[in-house]
Amino acid sequence: MKQHPLCSDCEDPITPIDLPIPSGLKEEWSACESRRQFLGRAGKVLGWASLATLFGEAGFRHRVFASAGDDNNLKLPHFAPRAKRAIYLFMSGAPPQVDLFDYKPNLAAQFNADMPASVRGNQQLTGMTAGQARFPVAPAHWPFRQHGQTGTWISDLLPHTARMVDDLTFIKSLNTDAINHEPAIMLMNTGNMNAGKPCLGAWLAYGLGSMNDNLPTFVVLQTRTNPKENNQPVSSRLWSSGFLSSEFAGVGLRSVGDPVLYLQDPAGVDRETRRKMLDAVEEINRQTLADVGDPETNSRIAQYEMAFRMQSSVPELTDLSKEPQSTWDLYGPDAKQPGTFAYNCLLARRMAERGVRFTQIYKRGWDVHDNVVGNLPILCQETDRGCHALVTDLERRGLLDDTLVIWAGEFGRTVYSQGGLSQDNYGRDHHPRCFTAWMAGAGVRPGVTHGETDDYSYNVVKDPVHVRDFNATILHCLGIDHNKFTYEFQGLHQKLTSPVPAFVVQGILA
Amino acid sequence: MSAAAKVVDAARDVLLRARLIPRAWIGALCGGLLIATLPFFFPLDGKPHADWLQFLGRFHPLLVHLPIGFIVLLPLLEFAGMKRQSMREAAGFVLWVAFASCVLAIVFGLLLAYGSGEIGSTVTTHMRGGIVLAIELLLCAVVRRSWLAGPQPRSYFILLTIVLVTLAWTAHHGGSLTHGSDYLTRYMPPTLKRFIAPSAVSSHPNSFFARHVYTVLDTKCVACHGTNKEQGGLRLDSYESLMAGGKDGVVIAPRNPDGSLLLKKVTLPPNDPHFMPAEGRAPLTPDEIARIRAWVLAGASSDATSVPGIFIAEDREEAPPPVGDYSTLMGEIRQIQQSQGAKLVPVSANPSDGLILRTTDVASSFDDAQLAKFQRFAPFVVEVELGRTAVTDASVETLSQFKNLRALHLEGTAVSGRTLAKLSSLPQLSYLNLSATKVSSDALAPLKNMPKLRHLYVFNTPAEPASSGDSSLRSTQ
Repeated sequence: MKQHPLCSDCEDPITPIDLPIPSGLKEEWSACESRRQFLGRAGKVLGWASLATLFGEAGFRHRVFASAGDDNNLKLPHFAPRAKRAIYLFMSGAPPQVDLFDYKPNLAAQFNADMPASVRGNQQLTGMTAGQARFPVAPAHWPFRQHGQTGTWISDLLPHTARMVDDLTFIKSLNTDAINHEPAIMLMNTGNMNAGKPCLGAWLAYGLGSMNDNLPTFVVLQTRTNPKENNQPVSSRLWSSGFLSSEFAGVGLRSVGDPVLYLQDPAGVDRETRRKMLDAVEEINRQTLADVGDPETNSRIAQYEMAFRMQSSVPELTDLSKEPQSTWDLYGPDAKQPGTFAYNCLLARRMAERGVRFTQIYKRGWDVHDNVVGNLPILCQETDRGCHALVTDLERRGLLDDTLVIWAGEFGRTVYSQGGLSQDNYGRDHHPRCFTAWMAGAGVRPGVTHGETDDYSYNVVKDPVHVRDFNATILHCLGIDHNKFTYEFQGLHQKLTSPVPAFVVQGILA
Repeated sequence: MSAAAKVVDAARDVLLRARLIPRAWIGALCGGLLIATLPFFFPLDGKPHADWLQFLGRFHPLLVHLPIGFIVLLPLLEFAGMKRQSMREAAGFVLWVAFASCVLAIVFGLLLAYGSGEIGSTVTTHMRGGIVLAIELLLCAVVRRSWLAGPQPRSYFILLTIVLVTLAWTAHHGGSLTHGSDYLTRYMPPTLKRFIAPSAVSSHPNSFFARHVYTVLDTKCVACHGTNKEQGGLRLDSYESLMAGGKDGVVIAPRNPDGSLLLKKVTLPPNDPHFMPAEGRAPLTPDEIARIRAWVLAGASSDATSVPGIFIAEDREEAPPPVGDYSTLMGEIRQIQQSQGAKLVPVSANPSDGLILRTTDVASSFDDAQLAKFQRFAPFVVEVELGRTAVTDASVETLSQFKNLRALHLEGTAVSGRTLAKLSSLPQLSYLNLSATKVSSDALAPLKNMPKLRHLYVFNTPAEPASSGDSSLRSTQ
């Protein structure tokens, strides 16, 4: 008779394993799911087709992840990487490239002129501007200036970014397939417009594994929203592990209050008690795993363990009391406020030091359909200093040699005004045909501007870079050949860059 | 006898002797003088002249191959003539044809130089070479007669040798004019190249200008704008002459590529009459233009070693040598990976990329004794991450045994820098992070001689330079 792990008096119910029946039948039983599990699954709308894979060997085809990426470490990276880790500054809502980076001096003279129809071609616009009678050109409201030794043009809205242009690699010809936020942001993050695919961070966590067992491999930081801004929702789909084991999903640290809820032990529970409890839970979980064989049980065990270790590592991570004055000089006063972009940038640097593989900072509010003149300066003011501080701080601490920093939104914004155009204000609609992103650090050439757009910042005229190519390039910097980095699911060798061919942007590689 | 009588006597003597000089010699003398005066009819004044002169002149490169062919044929025929008389007769004819075509080539060459207004030392040397060659051929013709008659058996062959040498020398200068002075040596194996004295293009041989701008100018421009020729009064064969400009003023405006005449001319449409390089020579590639543009934008410095935004393959850091295969130790490495503690992580799937010693999991408890345990893996370890560990100066000594070490993280440790000199025995070390330690600038001194150490970080240490705004010290040696 088996002993129950938590209770010395009670016994496990008798199962077919304990009965004197042929062993073949016992195996069949253990390969099957219980009625409860079956209904639970069915309730999750998995459907009959996928149900087939739950029986027999097919259900066990995927490797059971004993610990994150341990096996993969030996196969990946495919080649010696330039970057060990990456920090992705995600500008959700789509920043207007025309106002920030893509300088078009010719536009000033065309204020309120109709954008030639030939520029737009047969493009289908969003419902928000498709009905507009005309498409008046709205030049950038703020002047541009050349900066650095490379003479890169940057809007006056980004004085801090302007100081580091020689360290940045600009891609002005990024383009995407989607014209609305949700599909576009999914495409940017997961390589697919539909939900259910793993995101870049999850792929990296799966492929490259952890560098510090005490912290998550992939961390997501939310920037506190500003109610004045037009905040598009972001959801955990964007940092989901899709069909990969859920232990590779991004771990979100809260922007307000405790970074991780219920991380601290309740009063009266000491660390030893907690350890004992977790050991017992693990044993139960292992039994479930043996009975059911669902690899997600393993993920659950790993996550309990991670949470236990995070009880000591996260307080150390978020304790900024030992930061020298030079940090505050660099990041500015915002960085002392948890939840600000600058604070998140500082946390990202601290996580880079502590071996977090991939940190993604979301900053929402860039969706400037109207009142660009009112909102854009606020958005820039909230983010500009943090971006500069992060890159500069990584550089002076010697971390930029093996860290890749990425700044991007999900698409660009139109050169023509959405709604009324006046001397004082204008709006910009979604624009998938071109947008600007920048990278800095390991693997990319500083000071390079890749790709060009036409005179209206509307179409790419030179060196187009699709989102797929962008993601392929990020993987390349981390030593991964995107074509070889696949995972078998639904009968396909799934990969981040989708089945459509993608190309590493050679022109920006160091 | 009076002095005057002596002079008269001598003069009479000369005249008497002159009458003895064969007529052929006199003819040769007059012909030679005539050829020698040709340049005076077409003085090379550096100004372009009538178009028809240039039109005819451009046949010079074609015609010039006629005398070359005939002259090379000449000694062959003479040697063959030792056996067969008919060959000897043919040689006489070929000699005269060679002379005639040589004079023709000189005339057309002068038309070309005069018409296009080309000047420069190579043009002049080439012209003089041609004239000397013609005169030598004339002498050959005269000497050959007496050689056939018998009395001067050797002088003809000596003269013929001189003709061939003159030909080679003149032809080489002609080639330099069309193809550039380094046409022959550009792809010469480096072992041979050492014997040729390198030309000093700049007082800073490692500068971006010397390596990436001058090389473009030398290949694409110097043929017409150099010592050979000085088209438009412009020479592009040194930094000083490039910046001095030509007749149309300066050609490089530092920090202003759009205002730089040189960049304007090379980016015109190729069919524009002002497009450079002229005369159908190979245009500059977009990459070459980008290099020059970036260099001008960055200030057109003579000594800066790099220009932001421009990367050139040969400038990249040399790939470090592969480390040995650690496959035999894989069992142990796997065991270490699964244990609690520091880990050995392969850099990539390729074993020759080496291993990383990673301590982030156990940083606070990782000390000198623990590091010593990894010494047996030393030959395979290329990167050691000891940031914020408990290691001290003793570990620096241990690390000096890791001969393939390329990157070393010691940030936030108790390392004082006392033993840093030991690291100079690491030939591959290119990255050293000493941020947030107590190292002083004195302790860094022994690192100055490490050839590959390119990234040294001393942020937040006593050694940190106080002046710069971004207080990073990135020493590039």
